[in-house]
Amino acid sequence: MTDRHRIALTVNGRPCEAEVESRRLLVDFLREDLGLKGAHIGCEHGVCGTCTVLMNGESIRSCITLAVQANGSSILTVEGLAGDGRLHPLQEAFWDHQALQCGYCTPGMLLRAHELLQENPRPTAAQVRAAIASNLCRCTGYQFIVEAVLDAARRLEAGATGQGHEPAASRT
Amino acid sequence: MKPPPFVYHAPGTVAEAATLLHEAGEEGRVLAGGQSLIPLMNFRLARPGHLVDITSVRELDYIRAEDGRLRIGAAARQAAVERDPAAAERAPLLVEALGFVGHEPIRHRGTVVGSLAHADPAAEIPAVALAMEAELTAVHAQGERRIAASEFFTGPFSTGLETGELLTEVSFPVWPPGTGHAFVEFARRHGDFAVAGAAVLLHLDGEVVDRVAIALCGVAGTPVRATEAERRLLGERPTPAVMAEAAEVATSRLSPASDVHGSSDYRRQVARAYVRRALALAAERARGGTR
Amino acid sequence: MSVTHTTPTPERELRWVGKSIRRVEDPKFLTGRGGYVDDIVLPGMLHAAVLRSPHAHARIVRMDVEAPRRLPGVAAVVTGAEAAELCNPMPDFGPAPDKHVWRCLAVDKVRHVGEGVAVVVAESRYLAEDARDLIEVEYEPLPVVADPIAAMEPSAPLVHEALGSNVAYQRTFVFGEVERDFAEADLVVRDHLRWHRSGGQPLETVGAVADYDPATGMLTIHCNSLTFTHFLFMLANTLKVPANRLDVRPTPAGGSFGSKFWAVKVAAVAGMLAKKLGRPVKLIEDRVDNITSCDHHGSDRIYDVELAVMKDGTLRGIKFDVVDDYGAYIQFGTGTHGNSLAQCVGPYRIGSVQYAVRAVLTNKCQQGAHRGFGSEVTNWAIERMVDLAARELGMDPVEIRRRNFIRPDQFPYFIPSGNVYDSGNYEGVMDIALRLADYEHWRREQERLRREGRYIGIGVISCQERSVFSATEFWFWFDEPAAKVTSAPESVTLSVDPTGGITATLYSNAFWGNSSDTVVAQLVGEEFDVDPHSVNVVYSGSNRGLPATGPGGSRFTVMVAGAINGAAARIKEKARKVAGHVLEVDAEDLEWAEGGFRVRGAPDRRLSLAEIALQTYLFKHSLPDEIETGLEASKVYDHPYTTMPSDDRSNLGVFYPFVGNACHVPVIEVDPDTGAISYLRYVAVHDAGTMVNPRGLEGQIIGGTAHGIGTALFEEYVYDRDGQLLTTSYMDYLIPSAMEVPEVIVGHQETPSPFTVHGIKGGGEGGRMMTPAALSAAIDDALAPLGVRCTELPATPERIRRWIEEARARGGGTMSG
Repeated sequence: MTDRHRIALTVNGRPCEAEVESRRLLVDFLREDLGLKGAHIGCEHGVCGTCTVLMNGESIRSCITLAVQANGSSILTVEGLAGDGRLHPLQEAFWDHQALQCGYCTPGMLLRAHELLQENPRPTAAQVRAAIASNLCRCTGYQFIVEAVLDAARRLEAGATGQGHEPAASRT
Repeated sequence: MKPPPFVYHAPGTVAEAATLLHEAGEEGRVLAGGQSLIPLMNFRLARPGHLVDITSVRELDYIRAEDGRLRIGAAARQAAVERDPAAAERAPLLVEALGFVGHEPIRHRGTVVGSLAHADPAAEIPAVALAMEAELTAVHAQGERRIAASEFFTGPFSTGLETGELLTEVSFPVWPPGTGHAFVEFARRHGDFAVAGAAVLLHLDGEVVDRVAIALCGVAGTPVRATEAERRLLGERPTPAVMAEAAEVATSRLSPASDVHGSSDYRRQVARAYVRRALALAAERARGGTR
Repeated sequence: MSVTHTTPTPERELRWVGKSIRRVEDPKFLTGRGGYVDDIVLPGMLHAAVLRSPHAHARIVRMDVEAPRRLPGVAAVVTGAEAAELCNPMPDFGPAPDKHVWRCLAVDKVRHVGEGVAVVVAESRYLAEDARDLIEVEYEPLPVVADPIAAMEPSAPLVHEALGSNVAYQRTFVFGEVERDFAEADLVVRDHLRWHRSGGQPLETVGAVADYDPATGMLTIHCNSLTFTHFLFMLANTLKVPANRLDVRPTPAGGSFGSKFWAVKVAAVAGMLAKKLGRPVKLIEDRVDNITSCDHHGSDRIYDVELAVMKDGTLRGIKFDVVDDYGAYIQFGTGTHGNSLAQCVGPYRIGSVQYAVRAVLTNKCQQGAHRGFGSEVTNWAIERMVDLAARELGMDPVEIRRRNFIRPDQFPYFIPSGNVYDSGNYEGVMDIALRLADYEHWRREQERLRREGRYIGIGVISCQERSVFSATEFWFWFDEPAAKVTSAPESVTLSVDPTGGITATLYSNAFWGNSSDTVVAQLVGEEFDVDPHSVNVVYSGSNRGLPATGPGGSRFTVMVAGAINGAAARIKEKARKVAGHVLEVDAEDLEWAEGGFRVRGAPDRRLSLAEIALQTYLFKHSLPDEIETGLEASKVYDHPYTTMPSDDRSNLGVFYPFVGNACHVPVIEVDPDTGAISYLRYVAVHDAGTMVNPRGLEGQIIGGTAHGIGTALFEEYVYDRDGQLLTTSYMDYLIPSAMEVPEVIVGHQETPSPFTVHGIKGGGEGGRMMTPAALSAAIDDALAPLGVRCTELPATPERIRRWIEEARARGGGTMSG
């Protein structure tokens, strides 16, 4: 039995149409069908948050969402966060603060933080902590992530839209 | 961990959804937010042959204040209810409880009605429905019926819904102005299901309690209404001693199931402490006359 | 904001070491281009899923795989019995590999819940799981051995019949005059301690993509575990391929915390399938696979400990009697107790040690590595006993520690087991911690709040962080080991291209989240005066690779620093000859400065590394005959400080010599109604020798502390008496979220190691090696008025609540207020 459906959605600002099996998880659709490897698979039961993407601007777990349920929606993945070869201020802040170690939770964490700053551009440290509690990080103990999000909020308020993406450049 | 195959339906109307469920019979399941169902399918603990996605049914996506009630349609997301001014005004207990339901990404997808239908005994919303004496509307191919929350929960993950029935609405009666509310729970981690939780509504006539409702989650196969404790409080001033006694009455006869997050004894102890805390908070809010 | 305090260190001439530069590897992870193993897609790739046993102990009577084989899209179903024909047993470093045989899939009987019994390969993971559902297995349940104490009974059912016992190893070591010290003691404190099993649980599970070329016989396996490359011939033997036809290629690991240390079973299964089918096969553990069958559950120990003390608080001797529940197999032998023996007296001048260990097999997932590798458990046990002694003697926990610390002038200090502590200043570390914690203030607050009926507790502990194991700790267990001891090397190749650009090639799966690329880039930058961000760091497959042990035991930074230092010296030696020839001076008259060689006393006469490189690549015929074209050098850096044990094993020699220290001071409040803990302050001061990237080290300390909070309060693989694992999901195995961990105030002291390049010590495990002891002490302190003592971890709210009730039943004091 293969039950397939056509879906049409927007992914990182680009329209996209596909035929998918009804049971296909959104995370597999993004990773395997669209090649967007930034959404990671961690637990596949909706607890760890490493598969987090934004659907219509809201964070969701793509491992417990069906691709067919994304029909008609607009999805943002980490690949859509940086634009035109420039890192997003959140990504810059994560880099500067060493807010990542193994990097596995990072895309989900970035998107969750992005959503928070959209809703609340000047969060307190406690609000950041409460917000990112939805996403597990096994490496960092969260502290540098909190610092990075607070710093990104300051940068965004100061008008940063993304600095030159110069990964090879040294900054101490 | 991938779900087994199924046939997916996205009906446009309630009638269509009811017909699809009727036709699917035992094989049919309603898909709302899917935040409980899809994990179960990923574990292959649930294997529905047909999923009827009701989030595409526009007529079910509403949060309405009318007739002294708060009405929530089956497609309304938990996050939407949490943000809704009418919900905050009319059912602050529900809104407070929603803050404990998983995490925000879960509430973006999960629905209030779906949580009731799932009937997890540790879940928050069923306890709120019980405390508020909510009424549920079930639709089937031949018509609809209303079910009182007190009749709805029949056991762990089981309800009074018949095969082919679809919950379309929950409606919460509004308590009078000045009612104090409190939802508190203890979970091992922020956002986890409760080891034990308590939902309280409490109204004072002057210094004494003239109306009160207490419901608990995490302490039995279903959410539990603590009617004996309520009776103990009626006509009393809610002093610490009275509230502690009510908490004792509310929990002493419970025999929760043990699991890795808490033995039966422990859950009862936590429930007692949290009923006491919920009563104290609700009484304080009732006295303050604010929410 | 995190507060970072570093004690002043003398001005040093290091340019990059010690700088918190941004990590060179981060841009790819920030943009979703990490290149993890599950990101790999090969043409024609198939997907595998393993069927796992629902029984803890059962005979496999019959297996029917006809229905799944007929399912469209299924390429193969391989049963355990078939796998046993395709493969030899798994590599095993246990005490008697032929008597506790471990295979990639179970044959004849299953020994724990989750053990693989068959594997399906299909066009997609979805189809593989559909087919897996169709496999019929008939099991005959056998009596289950779930309790390690009962497992030692002669009548207990056997996990491995061939072994004839469930005790895989037992021995009592005596170091020093332990009986004399106990006889002379004023007081002997005793306790029974229980440490339950938990695990690394990285968010990325173990995975492999295997690709076999039938034309060449070459088997390539991409995976997130590549360690001990010089032992991979054993994996080749398992897979029945010639060792020179196996290439294991590393991908970045999305976390390990020990659990990807030589995690080769998934690679073996994927390799077996690729070889059988001649098509690429991907096998990625799902979370249930990982929790039930990762082969890396952590220590699971039952202790009886005795500590001999004098009235003035002097610690004399300690006796450990430990039963360790290893689960169904014992792949690394009792190496986790080698870790324990490396620092079995903590930071104290304890003169004698008796260490009795019994390694027991039960029907559970086997142990592997978990951040600390067993030493963290010993830290906890030692500190629990020191706190008990302080309580019995009425001493302040700070005071008893001060009195017993090894003093700075006593290093290098040989402990009774034979291992050496290279350097340290333990009192200095503790003083920084007490200052950052505002210890006296919190003691006053504690008293004040106790009067209000609140339970505030302050923990003060001081523990060791051994780093850089030598292989002897896997070897010295027997008087006559089966083979001679090996080293545990790490290697690097440095290549300077004709324009002076530098590439560093690494040979193990160095990236586990531990900033290996940045550390390497900084160390190379230091050697050659180049910007670390300009250094290209690449990873070699094992096939053309040099010996490499990989991370684990906090060894990578120290070892790769040695390798880089050695390879750089070789490059500089050649560059010096070339520069001398070109500049027409004696090579000995040249000095390295500012990224090139210059003539001593005539700094204008110089050649940059780029100029020298160009000469060596292009103008060979202008150079002396003995100089070959190109500028590249490798270094295999063997363990720098290993000594052999005595024949009678009364001295185990030096095997874990670079030893850091830390002091953690948590201030907590306990909710007596629920047993829940909240934090008022958390201070962690570490001394890991010279820091390479302080921010990176702080990240390890804070992350390790969060991990340790998980161990101390939340995480446990719970098996019931039937051997059923009750915590098979992240709903039940509880990793702390941002709301369960405090902000950590980090402090540093830098006491360089005299034995390593730049004085570096390892620092990746320290957080988790301290926190359990610190929180246990704080719980005791908070509930001291009741007489509660924390003797079992994790100290779940329910356990704490039970201790409170038990203490009250014993008539423990009540709070005023």
